[in-house]
Amino acid sequence: MISIDSALTHTGKVDLRNLTPQQTALEINGLNLHYGDKQALFDVSMKIPRKQVTAFIGPSGCGKSTLLRCINRMNDLVDDCKISGEVLLNGHNIYDKKVDVAKLRRNVGMVFQRPNPFPKSIYENVVYGLRLQGINNRRELDEACERSLRGAAIWDEVKDRLHDNAFGLSGGQQQRLVIARAIAIEPEVLLLDEPTSALDPISTLTIEELITELKSRFTVVIVTHNMQQAARVSDQTAFMYLGELIEYADTNTIFTTPKKSKTEDYITGRYG
Amino acid sequence: MGRWFKSGSPWIWMTGSAVSVSLIAVLGLLLLIAWRGLSYFWPATIYQWQMQDDAGKAYTLIGEIHDQEQVPVERLTAAGYHFDDDSGEFITRYLVKTGNREFVSLDFRWILASNIISRSAPENVAVFERSKNGNFYGVPQRVLENGKEIASDDVATVLEQHIARAVALNEQAVDLQKHDIGAINYQMERLRLKSRKYELNNELTDARKAELAAEQQTLQQQYQQLEQQLFALRADAARDAVVVKDMRGQDVTLSLDTVLDATYVNRLSTMQKLATWFSRVGHFVSDEPREANTEGGVFPAIFGTVFMVLLMAVIVTPFGVIAAVYLHEYAHKGWLTRIIRIAVINLAGVPSIVYGVFGLGFFVYMLGGSIDRLFYPEALPSPTFGSPGMLWSALTLAILTLPVVIVSTEEGLSRIPASVRQGSLALGATKAETLYRIILPMASPAIMTGLILAVARAAGEVAPLMLVGVVKLAPNLPVDMNFPFVHLERKFMHLGFHIYDVGFQSPNVEAARPLVYATSFLLVTVIVTLNLTAISVRNHLREKYRSLEN
Repeated sequence: MISIDSALTHTGKVDLRNLTPQQTALEINGLNLHYGDKQALFDVSMKIPRKQVTAFIGPSGCGKSTLLRCINRMNDLVDDCKISGEVLLNGHNIYDKKVDVAKLRRNVGMVFQRPNPFPKSIYENVVYGLRLQGINNRRELDEACERSLRGAAIWDEVKDRLHDNAFGLSGGQQQRLVIARAIAIEPEVLLLDEPTSALDPISTLTIEELITELKSRFTVVIVTHNMQQAARVSDQTAFMYLGELIEYADTNTIFTTPKKSKTEDYITGRYG
Repeated sequence: MGRWFKSGSPWIWMTGSAVSVSLIAVLGLLLLIAWRGLSYFWPATIYQWQMQDDAGKAYTLIGEIHDQEQVPVERLTAAGYHFDDDSGEFITRYLVKTGNREFVSLDFRWILASNIISRSAPENVAVFERSKNGNFYGVPQRVLENGKEIASDDVATVLEQHIARAVALNEQAVDLQKHDIGAINYQMERLRLKSRKYELNNELTDARKAELAAEQQTLQQQYQQLEQQLFALRADAARDAVVVKDMRGQDVTLSLDTVLDATYVNRLSTMQKLATWFSRVGHFVSDEPREANTEGGVFPAIFGTVFMVLLMAVIVTPFGVIAAVYLHEYAHKGWLTRIIRIAVINLAGVPSIVYGVFGLGFFVYMLGGSIDRLFYPEALPSPTFGSPGMLWSALTLAILTLPVVIVSTEEGLSRIPASVRQGSLALGATKAETLYRIILPMASPAIMTGLILAVARAAGEVAPLMLVGVVKLAPNLPVDMNFPFVHLERKFMHLGFHIYDVGFQSPNVEAARPLVYATSFLLVTVIVTLNLTAISVRNHLREKYRSLEN
């Protein structure tokens, strides 16, 4: 692990076309997805680098959230959803029959569009994932709770009311709590599905700062339809349109010199 | 006018008045039941009437006014009465409770106002509440101790002391009979069953026979001792008597062992009457019924109702919740699930007596019969579980209320936002873990709502119970001090059936009518109490999981 860390500087650019296996967190190969008769993803292939922030952008309904949900198999919950192709996490296909989905989701955490804390105390929300793993040692839980809340930049705001109901928090605090809950189980990959779309500008800013910090520990994949946000927080950006991956490059390239005209049209606001 | 219609206010008025009508109906009903039921316990003034019948014969009547009505003179004339011309169009008729059942043909009688010469409320008249033959009205003359008169100016005080003594002795006797003698009888019955069991298994050796006989002998001895004690207590309670002058002017001797209470009602102040009222209400809810349920209390019925409903709730909740969880969370969403769901909802509309018949056929005869053959062969041919009883009643009502619990649990499950489920799954929880840790706690207010509806329905249900376990008079409560303490195979009493029995099967209709109101009021109170408890639990849970609202 140390050798990988030293091979990557966290802010350093990587060459997307020549990622070494150590630098690759996720590899998506020829992914097709159907909801019933309707095809939602068309032959998507990409490599997502380790400990970087990768953003999916595109107009509504372009399949960016669907693609994100393929990474932790959330689409399994949809009854008539059919998936072909593969998603490799550390070189192993997560759609393999032998894969334990619950275990996979422990490695690939997810934060949703709207804050969705459980109707429990702040403390119990954070340690929920740990309790699921059978950890009930009070000290261990306390430490993990503090570490995660600090990691999600919310510790100072809630340290005096850890045992209050999580619904007493504001929307932005709830979203950071949900992030703390996700990182408490130390996943490798963190999926953020439009994490700031339900929040006010100040909370959005806090979360964006947090995302930048998170990438030192996790591989972050974020879906957003706010292009400025993608430009601010991400290292790589993928532009999707009608279920197809149109262009995928480092963020600077996408926003300054996009190669495809569709990308340019979208970025300059001609549609979307 | 057209504008007024368009503004929508007619609809507001219409809906508003619909609500008012319902409210008035419910409150009116409750008030009527409460008033008629609770006023029964108020100590009524005892009157003494000087009467003259149509033949001109004078007589005296002592009793309480129970009811009064206006009767057209014409009707009475047609029935053969004669009146003076100036008696007007209507004449008042009183229903008087005269008590003294063993000396008069009926303890209630109608008297016409025209036959009354005078009415007074003498202070020396007392009402005796008795364990046999109902109330006795009369003027206490003297108290006899061991057949000898006690010389005293204050008959009332002496009487009170002696009644208290007799009541205490009677209570001891009842206690002895119920607990000690009851326990011995129970042990003897078990001994008999044990012996029969050995016999059936061909294990009844001579040694065992001797052992059993010895045990039997010991029990028999204990029994005889206790029986002697019991007789002694009873004889002691019957030591004293009171001589009362009744309305015929004759002295009647009442043995004090049958007297529960004597009250000089006309001497009581309002506060004392209130105290008497409370004490009578207390006796009503804590005593056992007497005289074919027309007197005494209804404690066994309250106990049976509450115990049966609680047992039903304990049975129906897990079944209903598990069924709802399967239907909503696991079952494939296809036509089969839809049909099952529709069938479940329609089950709620099946007449309850049908459930009763089903319970009798399936639970009592099939299940109960099999249990008897398998586990209680020694008691056959008399059934243990193969006859109607508490367990079968609770089970029958559980399947009767199952649809309610399933439907409201499912509603609760579908109200839980998908985002919460996904949040849990995304943290690596399996579906079962999510259900157990997140979904079920969040659905608990809805489960409680289902339970509240189930309890409300079950507590008021009588028809099926008549087939599967309720009786007019149960000798024992389903819970007592004999091992295994809870006897679910026993028959029990129920407030709803008690109302029916007292009101419509009773030989003494007039005496029973106020009891019907009182029991109805009690049943309503019990149901409301059960519901309020469940509602407060639900509100507490709601407060805890109020997230659902947004």
